[in-house]
Amino acid sequence: MSIVDLTSMGEPQSELRKEINERLSKLRDEISDYCFQCAKCTSGCEAHKLLELEPHKIVALLKRGLIDEMVNSDVIWTCMSCFKCKERCPQRVAPVDILFSLKNLAVLSGKQIPGKYTAMLQSVLSTGLIQDIQSVATRDNKTKKRDDLGLPAVSKPVDVAKFQMALSKIAVEKV
Amino acid sequence: MPTEQYAYEISLREILPFLDVELVDIDGFSCCGEPMKSVNQLMTLYLSARNLAIGEKHKLDLFVPCAMCHLALSECKYVLDNNPDMKERINGMLASEELTYHGTRGIVHTVDLLHDHIGIEAIKQHVKKPLKDLKIATHYGCHLIRPSEVGRPVNSENPEKIEEILKALEAEPVKYAQKLDCCGAPLLSNLPESALTKTGQKLKAIQDQGVNVLVDVCPWCHRMFDSKQIKAGETVAAKLGIPVFYLTQLLGLAFGVKRDKLGLDLNLSPVDKLEL
Repeated sequence: MSIVDLTSMGEPQSELRKEINERLSKLRDEISDYCFQCAKCTSGCEAHKLLELEPHKIVALLKRGLIDEMVNSDVIWTCMSCFKCKERCPQRVAPVDILFSLKNLAVLSGKQIPGKYTAMLQSVLSTGLIQDIQSVATRDNKTKKRDDLGLPAVSKPVDVAKFQMALSKIAVEKV
Repeated sequence: MPTEQYAYEISLREILPFLDVELVDIDGFSCCGEPMKSVNQLMTLYLSARNLAIGEKHKLDLFVPCAMCHLALSECKYVLDNNPDMKERINGMLASEELTYHGTRGIVHTVDLLHDHIGIEAIKQHVKKPLKDLKIATHYGCHLIRPSEVGRPVNSENPEKIEEILKALEAEPVKYAQKLDCCGAPLLSNLPESALTKTGQKLKAIQDQGVNVLVDVCPWCHRMFDSKQIKAGETVAAKLGIPVFYLTQLLGLAFGVKRDKLGLDLNLSPVDKLEL
């Protein structure tokens, strides 16, 4: 299920396709020419150590025009968003931000949203929180609720209808 | 965080009155939006701006104990304060809930609240039961440290503020090579096995170095290190048994607060190992 399905059932697909193409070409223009492949991003990358994500290669591939391919690749979803690449890049390229844009494009183009993102998104769209308020277990396996622990009610949107309306609009807006 | 990691909130609410900090609960907040960044960055920006605008409406600075929320709000502030077009666009969207973002209020995390606003000397004055000879590894959390471009409360390559707070409690913070490693939490929603491996690798490294305690200040990191410690151990074939505390829980113990008032029964790691 894509974000568009969740928020506005039956949007005309041709418009969407046009928008994706526009965004793809915009991303192409925005990708920095300044990357000189020092691979400092990859040397510190948390996801590289475990999942072989290579941010410098992704930047190189994008510069060669392989944007659609990267949007459709699973590798973009291995980024742990630790921001080391952005912090350390001598050329201020910020691969992590490029990866966020690619993932956003993957979602917009109707590609399946991986893992629990769909559930989190549905929860945010309906209640404003990423999950329901949970009961938790103690070390000796007793179940406790927030109020059992003397905590006040969780702060959440007051006028839920207005909140949902505003958020649904964004879900289909251009970034 | 308010929907699950209650021990952090309980211990915060318990210790802050000692330090003359008054928390005001405001209704109407929503998720900060950071977990949605992979799905839709504009949504993240909107949700963060919305929360900041609610704080402004009440003329209050926001206290944000979660590192991830703190980053989302800080980044939002950075973007909107530097990009008038985006600010106008977001404010247009906020209008339906009669909110406006001006950028007048601050965003404070637990670490800078304790270290910068309250100060080490003030903390020292309340220590009744020093945590003597306790070897502690610190974990700041990636989102608290980076990116420094948007303004973070601690140094990006060598954060020391938690260490300084721990020294005020007479504990012994240790230097270890894996200090800046990620907890794995951001992958939990789509690659849970890999996320746990990340957690397990860091915990194993800490355990191998003979550390008594791991301390953290982010509910996402804590969920990985504490709640999921046994599972994380399985991914790296190690039997892990490291007590993991929130910094605020350790402060409470050092201030002489009773254990049951700090939510310690909610820590799933073996915190009973220590006679504190």
